[in-house]
Amino acid sequence: QRFRFCGDLDCPDWVLAEISTLAKISSVKLKLICAQVLRDLLGEAIEYEKILKLTSDAKLESGDVKATIAVLSFILSSAAKHNVDSESLSSELQQLGLPKEHASGLCRSYEEKQSSLQDRLKACSLRLSRLGSVGWRVDYTLSSSELQEVNEPLVHLNFNVWDGEQGKTVAIPMALSADKFRVLLAELKQAQALMNTLL
Amino acid sequence: MLLMLSEEQKAHLGCLTLAGDAAVGELGRLAVELLRRGAASRACEAAARKLNIGVDTIQHGVEGLSYLLTESSKLMISEIDFQDSIHVLGFSDELNKLLLQLYLENRKEIRSILSELAPKLPSYHSLEWRLDVQLASRSLRQQIKPAVTIKLHLNQNEDQTAQVLQTDPSTLLHLIQQLEQALGEMKTNHCRRVARNMK
Repeated sequence: QRFRFCGDLDCPDWVLAEISTLAKISSVKLKLICAQVLRDLLGEAIEYEKILKLTSDAKLESGDVKATIAVLSFILSSAAKHNVDSESLSSELQQLGLPKEHASGLCRSYEEKQSSLQDRLKACSLRLSRLGSVGWRVDYTLSSSELQEVNEPLVHLNFNVWDGEQGKTVAIPMALSADKFRVLLAELKQAQALMNTLL
Repeated sequence: MLLMLSEEQKAHLGCLTLAGDAAVGELGRLAVELLRRGAASRACEAAARKLNIGVDTIQHGVEGLSYLLTESSKLMISEIDFQDSIHVLGFSDELNKLLLQLYLENRKEIRSILSELAPKLPSYHSLEWRLDVQLASRSLRQQIKPAVTIKLHLNQNEDQTAQVLQTDPSTLLHLIQQLEQALGEMKTNHCRRVARNMK
C-alpha cells in the first residue's frame, strides 16, 4: 500500500513495527515528545532527559526510547519532505494503526512547525559552493616598467567562496581592466534580469 | 591439517610447563587480552611476579600462546588436529586438555577479530542529491537542460571522503537500470545454487 508521507512508496517495515510502541505512550506525552524531536530536526539541542521522563510511565526500555525518537524523526521529516498536509498525515498514520488521539496530537505539532521544518530542510540541501562576500578596490596605474605613462584604472575583486567539496572558505582574487569589468557587469546584469523573471 | 611450530615457538611455549597447570589459565587470559587490545606489559609483569618466573619468559610464553591460538582459529583446525599439533610439545595430558579448552572457548571471538584485519575498499556511507534545470547561459538563452548533482559520501577505515558527480536524467535512468539488473542477478539459478552450497 502506498503512502504519501513515504513519497508514494510502501511504508518501511521498521516504521510499521514501531507504531505499536508509539501507541503505548499516552497521546499527551507523545505530543510533548514530538515537540522535542522537532527541536532536534530544526537544529536546536534535544533534551534527552525530558524524553526519558516522558517515556518512563510507559515503561519503555532504552532501545524502545531510541526507536520512538527515530520513528518520529522519520515521520515528521518525511512528511515535510513530501509536503504532506496535516490531515492526510493523520489519516495515513491511522491507517497504519496509530490511535486517533495520538495521530491528531502528532499532526497538530507537525502543522505548527511544518514551514520552519521545510525551510530548514531547504537550507540543508546539497550546495557545492556559496558566495560569502565580495570585496573590491579601484586603483589607477600611473606607470610601469614597460610604459612610462599608463594612466589606466584597474579594479581588484576578491570573492570569498565557501567550497562545499573542501568544506572551507576559499578566497578568489582577480584584477580587471575597466573594459573587462564593464563586460562582466553587463553580463551579470543580464543574468540578474533573467533571475528576476523567475522569482 | 597440522599446525607447524618453529623451534623458537616451541621453546617459548616450554615455559608453560614451568608455570604449572594453574597458571596456564592466567597466561591464556593474557594471550586473549593481547589479541583483543594489544600488548599489556604491566599485566605480564604482575603475572611474572606472582608466578616467580622472569618477565621475559612470561612475555614469550604469552606471545607463543597467542600465536598458537590465532593460527588455530585462522585455519579453523579440528580438535583432533589441535591435539596432534600440541602433542609434539610434550606437555602433560592435563595441560593439553586445558589448551584445547582455551582454543575452543575463544575460537569464535578470535575469528571475529581476525576478520576485521582484512583490507577494505571504500564503502557506501550516504548520498546527497539535487535536481537542477539550466534555463540560460551566457551563450544561449531559452534552454531547458535538467541535471542531477550527486555527492557520494564514502567510508574507508574511518576516513570520510566525498565524491561529487553530475549526470543528466537519461544517464541516471541507465545507471538505475544497470544497478537493478545487478540486483536481479542474485535471483538467477546460478547465484542461487552457489549461495545454497556456501551455507
